[in-house]
Amino acid sequence: MTKGGTRADFDHGRFAKGLARGFAGALLFALPMFLTMEMWELGLYIDRDRLLILLLVNIPLLVLLARRIGFENVTTWREALRDASIAYCLGIAASTFVLFIIGVLKIGQALPEVLGMIAIQAVPASIGALLGRSELGTRSESSEDEKDPIGETRGDGYGGELFMMVVGALFLGLNVAPTEEMILISFKMSLWHAIAAISASILLMHGFVYALSFIGGHELDENTPGWHALIRFTMPGYVIAFAISLYCLWTFHRLDGLDPIQAIVATAVLAFPSAIGAAAARLIL
Amino acid sequence: MAKSPKLGSVENRKAHWIEWATGAVSAILITALIGWISYQAATQADGPPDLSVTVVSSMGRAGGYLVIFDVNNAADRTAAAVVVRGEITDNDNVIETAEITLDYVPARSQARGGLIFRNDPAGRFRVSATGFSEP
Repeated sequence: MTKGGTRADFDHGRFAKGLARGFAGALLFALPMFLTMEMWELGLYIDRDRLLILLLVNIPLLVLLARRIGFENVTTWREALRDASIAYCLGIAASTFVLFIIGVLKIGQALPEVLGMIAIQAVPASIGALLGRSELGTRSESSEDEKDPIGETRGDGYGGELFMMVVGALFLGLNVAPTEEMILISFKMSLWHAIAAISASILLMHGFVYALSFIGGHELDENTPGWHALIRFTMPGYVIAFAISLYCLWTFHRLDGLDPIQAIVATAVLAFPSAIGAAAARLIL
Repeated sequence: MAKSPKLGSVENRKAHWIEWATGAVSAILITALIGWISYQAATQADGPPDLSVTVVSSMGRAGGYLVIFDVNNAADRTAAAVVVRGEITDNDNVIETAEITLDYVPARSQARGGLIFRNDPAGRFRVSATGFSEP
């Protein structure tokens, strides 16, 4: 943490590249949400307490994500915090930029509206900004990561796997959570449909990671039976996807006034994309 | 970006007891979830939406009188595009009507809306749902 040391070998070009990548990641991840009508409306009517909770929950998520991925080689919590703030800032910048160029926000609009819309969009955009470093970066450039102790442990470990599933579930889940289709589908479905959706989500999650075995697939040893992985990874993964879906729907006021069983069905609908996202994240991230 | 499959990947290492505990809790939660939905599915009735409207509050506002109401759906089917009409009557003559369409009134749930009148609705007011469609 010697200031002199960091200044001496500070590479401006590389830092600027990192910022540009973060901005690109924010756009890539959050554009579907920037262009969703329900998200603009939510910016106006979302309960300010729920918005505050969402904005606060985003901070530890970004710090943990920075710890795993980060703009630069992150070795300490302080650096992770720094990267998380940069990502949050890029998220705010990206949502302000896009909402103004598509004409959703105009100069002279009431401040609470403007702030609400930018704030709610900044959350997915900031996650995208952090993911941008990982997804858009090239392997050759991060070859030095191999010697980095965090680089070695990245993605390893039980907690790491579960965290990656959280990120993946948010990635796909957030894209569709604000849309009206989520509750509309749940109203069209019977409860038997909901059970089928839950079972299908779990089967697909398991199949994605173990049966299909894409690159980076998690091959099982001969002496590790499939049900071991089902209990230890897929089941907790589905619970994570379900919990995140429930939280997203609650935050976006989709569960207001709903009977618990109806709320569960709506959550099962959103948990379907979230579960796929969670499974995919274990392979990709 | 993909992790190179290496020996001792996270699945094949000897599992810590926490992993089994997390897995067991998750399996129990999922079983309970499916069990609860199955129970509800087996016991629910298959009737059409059953809508009732209750007035929550009525107050004077600049430019009119605001009546807030709740629509309750007691059935296991969701109603969409629920039309709620309020009327102010004076000795069987309808003085004023106001109408609003609610997007959804989900099964066993409620939705809230408001009607605005120019005349004072106190004591001579009725409100009811007049139609819906299936989602």
